[in-house]
Amino acid sequence: MNIEGYEFPEGLYYDKNHFWARVEGDLVVMGMNQYAQKMAGTIVYVGLPPEGKKLTQGKNFTKIESGKWLGKVFSVVSGELVAVNEELERKAKLINEDCYGKGWMFRIKPNNLDELKNLMTDPEVIREWLKGEIAQHGKK
Amino acid sequence: MPDQIQFDEKRRKAITQCSRCGFCRAVCPIFELTKRPITNARGKMILLKEVMEGKLPVTEGVAQALLRCTTCMNCTVNCPSGVDPQEAFKAARKDMVRMGFDNLFKAMGEIVEKYGNIYGEKERHDWGHKKNGAPYVLFVGCVGTYREEESVEETIRFLDLMKVDFTMIDEACCSGVLEDVGYKMKDELAKRNVRELQKIGAKTLITTCPYCYRVFKEHPAYKNLGLELKHITQFLKDFNFGVKTEKKVTYHDPCDLGRHAGIYEEPREIIRKIAPNFVEPRRTRDNAMCCGSGGGLRGSFPEDSIEISRNRLSQIIEETGAEILLTECPSCVHNFRNAKLRKQKIEIYNITEFIAQLLQENMSGARSEA
Repeated sequence: MNIEGYEFPEGLYYDKNHFWARVEGDLVVMGMNQYAQKMAGTIVYVGLPPEGKKLTQGKNFTKIESGKWLGKVFSVVSGELVAVNEELERKAKLINEDCYGKGWMFRIKPNNLDELKNLMTDPEVIREWLKGEIAQHGKK
Repeated sequence: MPDQIQFDEKRRKAITQCSRCGFCRAVCPIFELTKRPITNARGKMILLKEVMEGKLPVTEGVAQALLRCTTCMNCTVNCPSGVDPQEAFKAARKDMVRMGFDNLFKAMGEIVEKYGNIYGEKERHDWGHKKNGAPYVLFVGCVGTYREEESVEETIRFLDLMKVDFTMIDEACCSGVLEDVGYKMKDELAKRNVRELQKIGAKTLITTCPYCYRVFKEHPAYKNLGLELKHITQFLKDFNFGVKTEKKVTYHDPCDLGRHAGIYEEPREIIRKIAPNFVEPRRTRDNAMCCGSGGGLRGSFPEDSIEISRNRLSQIIEETGAEILLTECPSCVHNFRNAKLRKQKIEIYNITEFIAQLLQENMSGARSEA
């Protein structure tokens, strides 16, 4: 679905820190949404923590950088980090090129999938939230 | 508004003196990465010669080519004709801006003016340590404060452990970087820094960032500072730390500390005290390859910047087999940490940060024995 000029594919969950979540089997995959990657500019670095790291929903656990911008990465669910996208190590720009596909960032084994209820799926809810973000940060 | 690049006598001489021998290619971090002639000093000097002789118009392409340089001075140091290409490029960048070819650093200038730092960060970490009467004042700069906060915390903790009586101020960006990318330093920020530094009553200014060190030392805006100036390695070189590591340690010379400021020995004197197993990379001292973060490249060509850093890190690992890479520059540390691959086990620190950790390990070891 296109919301305010940005793609927010259906079937994903979206948090207010600009990350998305997708359920794949018993894992949750997360990445950055299109608005955020455009605002960030060319991404050159994503911190890739070791597998096994314990994560908490809404808590930051690593960072992401473009040339001069630094952002925090917040977990979409509580659980254990089981995989990182190692392609991002040499080509962090994949997040800009294909943020919902090849630019996925982390795979998490969730403690409780019910936590996904805390994320947004309704297009109108996402729209209102995104409008607020655009008002505050602008758009690209 | 001038409609051409100004080729004064000094610049004409540099351009005609360049024999286009290409020695600079062997030491240029961007040429090493791209293999494109225009990215290297020789290529840019040819470009400027063509512009000077009226054979090439000044275009956005020329402006972009001139931005693609870390100003590391490796070309300068290795030029058999005695040319300083990076000075010519910095001067040409200013002309390009005056001619209307603004670059992305125009926005950075506005950000620096509004927020007092190069990143536009609204919240400043309060390091505490503010007091009158301390003989030393520590200035950490933007990269340390906003990109390598933990490293700065360790450096501060280290100075406390060494019982250094120091204070800090509410810093504004030294803003010297704007001069390198075509713009002017923000005089009001410089005045604010001078005011705060003079008010605090210290006698010696210690910087952790080599770039800030150079700006304080060389820029006219800071000429009336009235404080003795030291890079932290100059300050610490005569200290005894009481700790050692058995690990294999190497050192990367930051361009701003080494080639630009001539500070090579002091970091090594410190490292030799703590690391009996200290090895130098093959390209070291005034021949050290750049980490890729300087001259505005991290902002203007960030992917190049990280790749250059990755090349330098791989070079260091291959040449030394070191377990620990030390440097004393927040920009170098930051770029290396961004560039490091997971499979590369080398640990990267500022010297002060590393010694703080050794001291901590020492204290923890002593406590557990007690």
